[in-house]
Amino acid sequence: MLGKLLKHEFRQSARSVSLIYACAAAVIAFIFVGMLTKITWIGVVGSIVLYITALVGVMMTLVSVIKNFYDTLYSNQGYLSFTLPVNCASLLGSKVIAAIVWVILSFVLAAVCFLVIAMNAKAVAEGSMAGIWDIIELTGLKEMLPSGATLVKLGILFAVSVLLLVFTFVGFVFFAVTMANTRVLQKHPKLFGFLIFFFTYGVTNAVGTKLTYSVPLSLEITTEDVKLAFVAMDQSSGMLSYGLAGVLFMALVAVGLLLLTGWIMEHKVNIK
Amino acid sequence: MEQLITVEDLHKSYGSKTVLDGVSFTAAPGQIIGLLGPNGCGKTTLIKILTGLIKDHTGTVRINNEEPGAYTKSIVAYLPEKTYLPDWMRPADAIGYFSDFYKDFDKDKAVEMVSRFGLDMKQRVKTMSKGQQEKLRLLLVICRNAELYILDEPLGGVDPAARAKILDLILENHAANSTVLISTHLISDVEAIFDRVLMISEGKLIVNAHVNELRENGKTVEDVFKEVFSYAW
Repeated sequence: MLGKLLKHEFRQSARSVSLIYACAAAVIAFIFVGMLTKITWIGVVGSIVLYITALVGVMMTLVSVIKNFYDTLYSNQGYLSFTLPVNCASLLGSKVIAAIVWVILSFVLAAVCFLVIAMNAKAVAEGSMAGIWDIIELTGLKEMLPSGATLVKLGILFAVSVLLLVFTFVGFVFFAVTMANTRVLQKHPKLFGFLIFFFTYGVTNAVGTKLTYSVPLSLEITTEDVKLAFVAMDQSSGMLSYGLAGVLFMALVAVGLLLLTGWIMEHKVNIK
Repeated sequence: MEQLITVEDLHKSYGSKTVLDGVSFTAAPGQIIGLLGPNGCGKTTLIKILTGLIKDHTGTVRINNEEPGAYTKSIVAYLPEKTYLPDWMRPADAIGYFSDFYKDFDKDKAVEMVSRFGLDMKQRVKTMSKGQQEKLRLLLVICRNAELYILDEPLGGVDPAARAKILDLILENHAANSTVLISTHLISDVEAIFDRVLMISEGKLIVNAHVNELRENGKTVEDVFKEVFSYAW
């Protein structure tokens, strides 16, 4: 049943975000026309619009993920969702997966947009870009750049961090929306939803930040390698250090909150 | 006899307000049951508990010997009072949705009924009239070969001519030997089809009888309803 839930989940949520992808595609095409025809103003205007599209795309996706979760479960459509012959864990699981995929896609869209903007900037100011590279070589900064293998590891680290960040965000938001739709709080679901999110996220984030610096578990990043180190982030001798405890703590709290969300959906939610 | 619905000592409160207070009844397969009572008496709460939408109650509720959950939802076809289909859905989408999730959903019958009701497969719910939306919601329910149909006020917003048609449709199309539980205020329109009647007042089940027992004194179900609920008029 999870497959069917996912199919309908993506179908429903795609409606609210597809416009931004179409818009980005159109602007990118516009910029490429500018690059091919070498008409500078097209590239400049297109880059500004694409920059805005990328930001709006991420924002719209975040909003639509939250709105879709509320609409499909706690508005009238909840009568449809909660009477499907599936358990609440599957229902919630499908929404979490769809939300994570959409948010990450919005990041990918933003990355593609920024890449196109950079390509356009390079095309417009090719001479200046070459000059920047000369400066990097002359000042010895080139030697300080990480090796290819390190860059791959950093890429993986970045991808995992983004995934955990998005998962954590989704977990906290879905918990807040669900709590706000229990009988005691559902008279003002938006207000309580915001309050619960900012309180739980704020408190957990503060504890997570503390753990990031104080727990001796970090990644030491040098130009040669990225390796696990059992030292606290602020005592690390590496070129750059990344404390892991905070991120792991946030993700664990998000897992706990999602389990709690499933339990509330199963036992405490009241569809108006 | 094996019971399809078993409810024992069911209690449900919203804060300090008791909505269901010790409700107990059973229902065998193959009956059409009227669930009657004035507004706010607890009918919809009872229905929400039977359909698994409310879980924080005390007492026992079993459908085919199972507590409300994924299994019971697969054998219960529920028509809520509210419009629950999203605005963007078309009849074709709704039929696809139901046939994906409910094994007992008869897709061919649903497609045939869409044209019989004069609905357009590609028209979005948000552009349909209220009557068209009700037809669509009703056909999605009666095209299931369910064991239990729970219809919450199916005649609520419908004109008298359409009511008779809807009732005929329910009678003609519900699965053989299934039980139909209909909650309604419009007793005179429906009473002819009931086998049994449950009347709820202030959270208590005060009448649980076969319609023939009620009619023994030459009274109609509506007469009994008016007597029982005279305080509420």
